[in-house]
Amino acid sequence: MTCARRVEDLLRELAPQVLAALVRRHRSFDLCEDAVQEALLDAATSWPADGVPDRPLGWLLTVANRRLIDLVRSEQTRRSREERFAFGAPSAELLRMPGEDTGIDRDDTLVLLLLCCHPALTAPSQIALTLRAVGGLTTAQIAGAFFVPEATMAQRISRAKQRIRAAGATFALPPAAELEARLAAVMHALYLIFNEGYTSPPAAPAAPVELTGEAIRLTRGLHRLRPGDGEVAGLLALMLLTEARRPARRTPGGDLVDLADQDRARWNGGLIAEGVALVTEALASGPVGAYQLQAAIAAVHDEAASAEQTDWPQILTLYELLERIAPNPMAALSQAVAVAMVHGPQAGLDRLAALGQDERIAGHHRLHAVRGHLLEMAGDRRAACEAFREASRRTASAAEKRYLRARLDHLERGG
Amino acid sequence: MKYVVIIYGNKDLWESFPPEAAARAIAEQDAVNRRLTESGELLGSYGLGDELTAKTVRVRAGVPAVTDGPYIEAKEFVSSFWLLDVEHEARALEIAAEMPFAAENAVEVWPVLHEAGNEM
Repeated sequence: MTCARRVEDLLRELAPQVLAALVRRHRSFDLCEDAVQEALLDAATSWPADGVPDRPLGWLLTVANRRLIDLVRSEQTRRSREERFAFGAPSAELLRMPGEDTGIDRDDTLVLLLLCCHPALTAPSQIALTLRAVGGLTTAQIAGAFFVPEATMAQRISRAKQRIRAAGATFALPPAAELEARLAAVMHALYLIFNEGYTSPPAAPAAPVELTGEAIRLTRGLHRLRPGDGEVAGLLALMLLTEARRPARRTPGGDLVDLADQDRARWNGGLIAEGVALVTEALASGPVGAYQLQAAIAAVHDEAASAEQTDWPQILTLYELLERIAPNPMAALSQAVAVAMVHGPQAGLDRLAALGQDERIAGHHRLHAVRGHLLEMAGDRRAACEAFREASRRTASAAEKRYLRARLDHLERGG
Repeated sequence: MKYVVIIYGNKDLWESFPPEAAARAIAEQDAVNRRLTESGELLGSYGLGDELTAKTVRVRAGVPAVTDGPYIEAKEFVSSFWLLDVEHEARALEIAAEMPFAAENAVEVWPVLHEAGNEM
């Protein structure tokens, strides 16, 4: 590992701790977050050259504190924004340097995550803020990962912080009655970060941030903070079991490879073993939840030696449980495939016909893609072609279009 | 999710607006653009020149030929477009409905293709 890389990993680890300490002391989340970001950039330039200081956390706290003072002073010269600091700390407090005893406790990172995924924010804002404030990524890195200009991402982050302030959020754990729903929002944001990375083409060398790795790192952190939470364990397991297949899911040219056609030798056995152990323990020890069930489904796929040896009856049972506790049209589509694998294509097609009544999904390209797949299984080549054509027209993903066109060509040529 | 929002028009349409109405619509649109920039949803917004100033390029046998005017024979032409990055289609449609031109004529919303594939 290069020195710069080691410094970057260390900085990301320390970022939420520095921010939490600063916010605890000074309360103004948005200015503190800016100050920490500047301190991280300072460290990223000077540490690889001068060496990592003996007490890196203290170094970052000192620099971030200094940056915060600069920010507050420049804020105060902007008269129009003076009210922003009306609730902030008095400047005497600001000028006091923090010692090594920062009073950082484990819950602080959880409070930060909850704040970043505040219900007043849209999902894209929650994601951007989480990646910056807890993940320690720069705005440029986040913008690159989401294919938007840096200025746009900066705007999104600054608006998110304004909203949190306007919502009157404080740096404290929410009341117990709210905690579950707030944690669900954090898990959903982490899930979306993972999904964005998983569905995107491999990161370009110019934007080396792997969102799947970042999501896994953050979810590992959440799992350490909430070891008894079965859904957090389930989410982590789902990510690991899905990430395990990533090396095989695209061709070197970037085309998608169907699960059944993937080269299983390229799946990551270590991640699979870890994910299976996690989800097994979670399912055995607590109330069952949607992430655990999705992880269990992924585990059954991952543990099959070949596509033919997949335990479809078990997958179908898991989908039926999922449908009962967390019905959702996308899972219902996958369930229709499982029905077809267990009871034959016609049973799956009957399922799809019923799903077609659900307007949330009736026009969705995946409904047509699954229908094409099941019609092909049933031997109705002409209708399958029609469904694949419809699906390829409806998807906004160029990669899926290529995949669906390839299946269509194959079928039309009598494959 | 990225979307392109497009409005169409022609000389007759633009000339049919009284100057004060046009100024009001532009001010309203500017306000919409500002809000979208602040929310981090607007990646860019552009107005195009008159179709008289458009050129069409064709290369035949390796030789480029440039002709005046747009490629598409139409009564109305692309006049302005916005590139949005929003959470979902419903939000893009909501933004389109905020544009003053939607109340006047019509606003088109097109998804932009991306390279992502298959939800996990």
